[in-house]
Amino acid sequence: MEGNQPRFPHKSSSFTASRDEKHHEIDRNLSLGSLKLEQYGKRETHGVDTIEEEETEEKPIAGNAEETQASFFIISEDIDLFLTVLLSLEEDGRYENREPPDIPEPTVERFVTLLEKEIGRYESGEAKWCSDNDEFPLLDAIGRVSKLTAAVTRFSSDTKYNQAMNRAGGVLHHAMCFLEDEFHSLLQDPRAKQDAGNSSLKAKRQPSFSLNHEPDRRVRPSSESTSAESRPPYPPETVERLHGIADAMISAGYDIECCQLFAIARHNAFEAGLPSLGFDKVSIEDVLKMAWESLESEIATWIKAFRHTITASFAAERDLCEAVFAGRPNVSDRLFRRFASDATVQLITFAEAVAMTKRAAEKLFKVLDIYEALSDVMPAVDALLPEGAEQDESSIIADPKEEIASVRCRLGEAAVGIFCDLESSIKADSSKTPVPGGAVHPLTRYVTNYLKYACEYKNTLEQVFKEHKHSEKTSSNAEDGEAAGGGGNDRNGSNGEGHNPFAAQLMEAMNLLHSNLESKSRLYKDQALCNIFLMNNGRYIAKKVKGSPEIHQLLGQTWYRKQSSELRQYHKNYQRETWSRVLACLRDDGLQAKGSVAKPVLKERFKSFNAMIEETHKAQSSWVVSDEQLQSELRVSVSAVVVPAYRSFLGRFSQYLDPGRQTEKYIKFGPDDLENLIDELFDGNPSSTGSKRRP
Amino acid sequence: MPTADFQGSSAPFASTGRSFLSLRRDHAADPMDAHHRHHIDAGEQRELDAFQHQVADLFHDLAGGGDEILSISWVRRLLDTFLVCQEEFRVILFGHRRPPALMDRLVSDFFERAVKALDVCNAVRDGVDQLRQWRKHLEIVIVALGPHNRELGEGQLRRAKKALGDLVILMLDEKDSGSVLSQRNRSFGRHSGSSSSSSGGRRSHFRSLSWSVSRSWSASRQLQAIGNNIAAPRGHEVVETAGLAVPVFTMNLVLLFVMWALVAAIPCQDRGLQIHFSVPRSYLWAASITSLHERIVEESKKKDRKNSIGLLKEIHQIEKCVHHLIDLIDTVQVPMAEEKEVEVRQGVQELAQVCEAMKEGLDPLERLVREVFLRIVRSRTEGLDCLNGVE
Repeated sequence: MEGNQPRFPHKSSSFTASRDEKHHEIDRNLSLGSLKLEQYGKRETHGVDTIEEEETEEKPIAGNAEETQASFFIISEDIDLFLTVLLSLEEDGRYENREPPDIPEPTVERFVTLLEKEIGRYESGEAKWCSDNDEFPLLDAIGRVSKLTAAVTRFSSDTKYNQAMNRAGGVLHHAMCFLEDEFHSLLQDPRAKQDAGNSSLKAKRQPSFSLNHEPDRRVRPSSESTSAESRPPYPPETVERLHGIADAMISAGYDIECCQLFAIARHNAFEAGLPSLGFDKVSIEDVLKMAWESLESEIATWIKAFRHTITASFAAERDLCEAVFAGRPNVSDRLFRRFASDATVQLITFAEAVAMTKRAAEKLFKVLDIYEALSDVMPAVDALLPEGAEQDESSIIADPKEEIASVRCRLGEAAVGIFCDLESSIKADSSKTPVPGGAVHPLTRYVTNYLKYACEYKNTLEQVFKEHKHSEKTSSNAEDGEAAGGGGNDRNGSNGEGHNPFAAQLMEAMNLLHSNLESKSRLYKDQALCNIFLMNNGRYIAKKVKGSPEIHQLLGQTWYRKQSSELRQYHKNYQRETWSRVLACLRDDGLQAKGSVAKPVLKERFKSFNAMIEETHKAQSSWVVSDEQLQSELRVSVSAVVVPAYRSFLGRFSQYLDPGRQTEKYIKFGPDDLENLIDELFDGNPSSTGSKRRP
Repeated sequence: MPTADFQGSSAPFASTGRSFLSLRRDHAADPMDAHHRHHIDAGEQRELDAFQHQVADLFHDLAGGGDEILSISWVRRLLDTFLVCQEEFRVILFGHRRPPALMDRLVSDFFERAVKALDVCNAVRDGVDQLRQWRKHLEIVIVALGPHNRELGEGQLRRAKKALGDLVILMLDEKDSGSVLSQRNRSFGRHSGSSSSSSGGRRSHFRSLSWSVSRSWSASRQLQAIGNNIAAPRGHEVVETAGLAVPVFTMNLVLLFVMWALVAAIPCQDRGLQIHFSVPRSYLWAASITSLHERIVEESKKKDRKNSIGLLKEIHQIEKCVHHLIDLIDTVQVPMAEEKEVEVRQGVQELAQVCEAMKEGLDPLERLVREVFLRIVRSRTEGLDCLNGVE
């Protein structure tokens, strides 16, 4: 390939050695731009003569590379000279009323023929236009033919000029078609495809929020591996060539073709890259029909694709536009904006569709994920697309910022709606079956965990509620909620932002849960169990709140203190309900009549004490306190009251029973036995009574 | 279990206990409401009648008005008409005292159709963008052969011819572009000599792969889905819904017709105009809308329009101008004879007019399509809010 290829010198300056003196001189004159026309007039004819001589003497044959090369450069010089003359005529404004100089037809013809032939060689595949050495002269020659065409067109009323215009213009167009093909195939550079294939960002499916099991820590995809560093789509050499071509095309007035080619190729590349980001286009209807489980993983994938596009692809694209259209900031800016706008519109539809899906509690977190992604990219978008850039005819192009903001707004409204729906769900839970053993109600678990996870999005939700709660006619409770929120607002004072609608909404949900639980507690006939139920649920809530700084902060210290005191009250109530009757058996009053112990009364006391203990043990060992700390607190507090009282009662009165049969009959439990029995309470294990009894 | 309750809030309209519009009625809090359930209030009846009149007037204007049917300005008026109807419909829906549960089904049914229309809007938006790309090629022709070029040289003619050829290929529907392409390419081969080998790849240069909808999406199927099971309400349904079944039916048909006409006019993925479209004559707007439907169907059957990528008037004009110019340029020899040049100039002038019309009209058209999209989304959300807000 190299062998039969004309070896044009790298730069015209490197060619000076082989030039004759005369051209050298003109060269300088040209570069100085102070050409004296009179002087030139002679030279021109002389120059043309020389070339004509050359042509007659030694016809450059295709094989004779060096000859072709040499004459091509000489011709180029002559064309440049001719152009300078025409240009200066134009500058002087003299061409209006002056005959144009004679046109050096043979030079022009030879020049365009050589260029045409050269392009033909590339097009036919005979030679490849890629080696760095050749590049410059070709684009240079194309630039020259473009200038030539423009220059001779001014005098096209002259027949010879008209012919030259048609000839040069035809070759110019041919050259432009060639460049267009080159530009196009360079833009299809394989690296782009390769790249896309490797960096598959297909997200792993994220565990969904589920009601059945209690996900204790939700792993938030905060540290997404958004590889902000994206490889540039083309290697530097390609970008350099693209720049050269773009420059030549735009200089020749083929800017529409060039920009269209570029815009469409880049947009198609973006489209083609989407599947490798794991994102497949779906219609809105499909999204609305999709099962939540599938949609959930689609959302995770989408978020990655979206973040990647805005943070990495956009930046790379802007760099590319700036490099390819270097020196033409208007063009590169317009093309980049168009790309960004199209890409945003393509991607955002999915988020738009998600915002439209039917509301459901479990969707809140994914909706917020998208919301956060949209918020997070805004600074990047702002930086990439600064305001105030001139907007040309394509002003219609959607502003990515507006598109994102609009969808973000709808997602925000959806999030508010979903969160507020929680209220109605709590109110609507009116199941009439008490949870066995007074254990934690599923509603408590659900709501508390839900709120806890929601509060991991505290900042986002606060923002969402501030920005998007405007038209919510959510409920009659809005005002109550705000009032309740006031309780939690004390910690807000430090932040200096008075009203926090999200905190208010959260408080409202907590209050609703509280009153719902109270009404559920009334389903238990046993007051003690009723209190155990409230204690269990209250404890569960308090613990979750304590474990989550966000929710704790939102509800505030006041709420927490109130909750704690309520819990203490339940505990007291329970103690009173169950154990005050038991302790009554161990009281002295009524036992001693006239200084002596009434044995039948004593026996009766023991009998009822034993019965109550057995009965309580039987009932309450089946009650459930799954919180170990609470369980042990309860047992300890019971033991602390009952065991010493029993011990002292035994100490004082056991002597009055006859040792042996009678003692055995009435004193069924030793103090240690009693302690053991108390330790078996709240096990949720009804069968334990018989088996574990006394060794 | 709370599970069930949560699902309840996401259940479809029809299965929820609460009826659509319940909120409104609660606010109205009319104790007599239960007794008057089936009674159509005189004021409300006037409102319903006014809606029928308004729809009839709007479509009458569309059918007769100054804009040529299927022109960009006509399509814009079509969308404006839809927006007005949709707004009035919304007012009736949300402002009306609530009739029994039958309405829920009807209204949710309407919103389901409306959701399908959203994808049509997106596809049409792509189509408008496509038209904008075509305009770029027209601009090339105008730059090459426009009035500011005093002299039409060989290069400019070839440039224009190539732009025209590219445009013709772009204007072929993607699915049948393959077959026609080979023939076309021969006549538009940009250069008679050396480079014919590479012209086979030409078509991809300016072909945008971009569609907002998935590849398998079909405008034709979507239209059929929108039109499925639209039936004029029967007498008892009208009574049971306090007359509201009538505006819902009206809006169903308006939606169907507007989406159908959009797809007819504008390039879309897998266009197809076969829908079942029949309106009982008794509706005030039936005549206008049926006549519009017939005229568009007729247009689509015309020989020179049958294979068109869109029935938009401007597309037809472009096609005519482009083919005329191509034929002209094919016969031209440089230097051009004066009368030839006059002819070419005139052809370019015509092209410039279409180009201008597109430049003026496409942006507002796209904004309107977007507006229709957003309006549908908003009214649908309103409906859902109504349902979920009270439970």
